[in-house]
Amino acid sequence: MANLKDIRTRIASVKSTQQVTSAMKMVSAAKLRKAQDAILKLRPYAEKLNEILSNVCNNLSSDVVNKYADRKIKDKILIVAITSNRGLCGGFNSNVVKRTAELLTTSFIEQAKKNKVDVIAIGKKAVDGLKSKGIKITKEHLDFYDQMNYEHVSNIAQSIMDHYVNGDYDHVELVYNQFKNAAVQNLTNEQFLPVALVSSNEGLPKKKGYRLAYIFEPTMQEIVSDVIPQSLKIQFFKAVLDSVAAEHGARMTAMHKATDNAFDLIKDLKLNYNKARQASITNEILEIVSGANAMKN
Amino acid sequence: MMYLEIITPEKLLFAGDIAIIQLPGVSGSFEIMKNHVPIISTLTQGKIKVKAANSVVSYFEVMGGLVEVSNNEVRVLVK
Repeated sequence: MANLKDIRTRIASVKSTQQVTSAMKMVSAAKLRKAQDAILKLRPYAEKLNEILSNVCNNLSSDVVNKYADRKIKDKILIVAITSNRGLCGGFNSNVVKRTAELLTTSFIEQAKKNKVDVIAIGKKAVDGLKSKGIKITKEHLDFYDQMNYEHVSNIAQSIMDHYVNGDYDHVELVYNQFKNAAVQNLTNEQFLPVALVSSNEGLPKKKGYRLAYIFEPTMQEIVSDVIPQSLKIQFFKAVLDSVAAEHGARMTAMHKATDNAFDLIKDLKLNYNKARQASITNEILEIVSGANAMKN
Repeated sequence: MMYLEIITPEKLLFAGDIAIIQLPGVSGSFEIMKNHVPIISTLTQGKIKVKAANSVVSYFEVMGGLVEVSNNEVRVLVK
């Protein structure tokens, strides 16, 4: 029979854990709202930019040079793994690490054999997780979330794009958690470079008249070379924002489950405690009664 | 009267009806008034001057960006 005092301390400790997890859940919920806000604020910008890009592409003559365009040889690959700096959010981080390792043995196995796949880790958990899997990390961004703003993120995107233009890489893949809703994160890997140009047949047909009449200033070539990097940076920024929101969502779910588990645990412990208490009372009565009986005789 | 939106990746800077807007284009500063032909242009570092419908003038510093005008709607995407 478990000691009464032991069970009491257990209950107290589980209770304080429950308090911590439920507080963390609240914090994550608040941060999630903020992160969702940031995504919503980015949306009009991203949509407009895409619209302009598709407008331009529709008017595009085929000889316009695009330095972010597709290349025939896919020799050198860069994988960017985006995770968080902190844990306690379920499978959020380990999923990204797992998918990165999986990509190295499936899609990019040819390049991996020739040692031509580089990995950039964003977030401390990616660094730790990839290192423990024995994957070499080319570059890590640890202070990333201390200054989460567009400028900082776009600088990283710019440096990746510069590497692509210089021919250091032929293909850049992003691995991150896409935010779907507070409870669901979609692990995705998407192609960052070469750029996927908007198909010229898409868009709103009713605007066709305006589209054809656009004046491009200074030239279409210059606008394309301005819009494409901009839209790439936005894509990168969106991936990061998605990952941040997904992180808080994942942590919220994880903490919710932890709180529920603590609740169940406390219920079990209380039952055991009461059983032990009753057993000890029964014992005591038994002792008193047998003692009294012994006196009588 | 035209409708203007100035958008950054992080927030909406300005939205409302305006009379005239002055923009720092790559090939020189230019202004857009009502019934301007549709245009897409890139912007360079400089100041955007907006005169709202109620004659209130406001300025925005930009590092560069894009402007699209169509159908008396002006959208400025700034960096």
